[in-house]
Amino acid sequence: MFSEQAAPTAQGLLAPPSGEPPTFPRVPVSGYSDCSQPFQLGERSFSRQYAHIYAVRLAGMRPGLERRARSRWGSDVALRKLSELQAGEKCCVVGTLFKAMQLQPSILQEISEEHNLVPQPPLPKYIQPSDELILEDELQRIKLEGAIDVQRLVTGTIVAVYGSEQEDGKFLVEDHCFADLPPPLPWNGPSSDRFVLLASGLGLGSVSGEALLSTQLLVDVVTGQLGAEGEQSCAAHIARVILAGNLLSQNTQSRDTINKAKYLTKKTQAASVEAVKMLDEILLQLCTSVPVDVMPGEFDPTNYTLPQQPLHRCMLPLASAYATLRLVTNPYQANLDGVRFLGTSGQNISDIFKYSSMDDYLEILEWTLLAGHISPTAPDTLGCYPFYKSDPFILTECPHVYFCGNAPHFQSKLLQGKEGQRVLLVTVPDFSATQTACLVNLRDLTCQPITFSGFGADSED
Amino acid sequence: MEQPRRITDSCPRRRRRRGPGRPPGRLKDKKDKDKVQVKVRDCPRSPSQPPPDAALLEMLRRFDLCWEYGPCTGITRLQRWERAQELGLSPPDPIRDALLEHRDNPEVTYRWVWGGM
Repeated sequence: MFSEQAAPTAQGLLAPPSGEPPTFPRVPVSGYSDCSQPFQLGERSFSRQYAHIYAVRLAGMRPGLERRARSRWGSDVALRKLSELQAGEKCCVVGTLFKAMQLQPSILQEISEEHNLVPQPPLPKYIQPSDELILEDELQRIKLEGAIDVQRLVTGTIVAVYGSEQEDGKFLVEDHCFADLPPPLPWNGPSSDRFVLLASGLGLGSVSGEALLSTQLLVDVVTGQLGAEGEQSCAAHIARVILAGNLLSQNTQSRDTINKAKYLTKKTQAASVEAVKMLDEILLQLCTSVPVDVMPGEFDPTNYTLPQQPLHRCMLPLASAYATLRLVTNPYQANLDGVRFLGTSGQNISDIFKYSSMDDYLEILEWTLLAGHISPTAPDTLGCYPFYKSDPFILTECPHVYFCGNAPHFQSKLLQGKEGQRVLLVTVPDFSATQTACLVNLRDLTCQPITFSGFGADSED
Repeated sequence: MEQPRRITDSCPRRRRRRGPGRPPGRLKDKKDKDKVQVKVRDCPRSPSQPPPDAALLEMLRRFDLCWEYGPCTGITRLQRWERAQELGLSPPDPIRDALLEHRDNPEVTYRWVWGGM
């Protein structure tokens, strides 16, 4: 966007300042509605167990999976519960997957005295060839083997398997299917170019200040204070900015002060206090010019379990005076100009990355969409609130833009579904590492990266 | 769980500062207070509501153990009934009527506890 319109007007930078500088009105905000009410927790009660969330997940996704099974394996396929299985009969079973992993960190093993184990250091991936898949329904469980990729799948996915029970009590799988893409939403997108900037992983409060220049350049580009008239008119087409998590860096999470003596730590302040002040100033500059949605991430001062609640506005006194600042939940869903956005700060994708053989964040993102659930590994390996009434992470409608934050690289893909779904999948890269943000064009669902960098002391030129 | 109701709730609440020489509450006083609370809790129930009979409690217990409606621990029976209704499992209506009729009785609203779990 920026490059083709900026070049012709670059000469304007060398001209003397004119008496009447041209102004570029930003595209007006039309049609915004927040759809993340299922992720907002009112009163929280932790006196429940997690059996409820698995039960409602299975009960909620079972009808859709049964329909998919009938359309795939014939409308007369036998749908059985595990308690009704007969040896040798070809049938279809719908249930929850459980992957028994040897390396999965288990708190019970760690504190068990008979094992005398040293706590396991965190590994990048916990998969092993000896992992097994088990299918569970409401009452029983059975081991799976056959045409099913054990390494690729993760615990908590609802799946329909077609096969037969063997003599040794295991289920031989001939074919399996997931919930597939949810039904499409009608398209009411804008007819002219309108952009949304997606950025994540600003990483404020880190020890090195190198990313601060890039962050300031990002703010200047969006508020139109950078570049010639061409760039400024392009920036006026940015309708919204979404910050997808990890606004604070991981360095702010250090808890060394807990282990030190009280007299050494009396006057020290948590690193996150300074970082939040910096965040407030950056958000103030952005909010005076463009609507901003701020999602919390893994290292931000909010609750740990999904769905993460919005940051409190008392932490951002300067920026929350503006109505353009919206503090939103971690899986975030909204209608922007008729285009449905759904995204997370990346904890769900990086958790699946640890427990699956899939290496590509875009592939995992696409797989969660096809499995019909934003985060199947919650609550097993990712913290989750104990819902009992319904599982809000089940995908009931297909979004138009599905993003995840804090990915290692920028990737995007337009997915077309059989029922006319068009989804733009975007993995938003970590800004503090890559200095890259994404611009999504709402008119034709395309996405382009925009990178900011400054010249360091040790670079040539 | 609702707070136990005391007779003194109907009196105006006034903050009373302790005198300098008053000793802190003694163990004997605490035990007497508990007994008084239990007696008072049973009294102010509306007279039109008869206590639930054993057949009703047995029907509710069977509702708890039905596996079709999901786990029964940690949520009230009414919440479980409404969840089953929303998932389209059509739980029987007499149970809901019974739960709404005896909503003040904690034996009815919560699942049957054995050992107080």
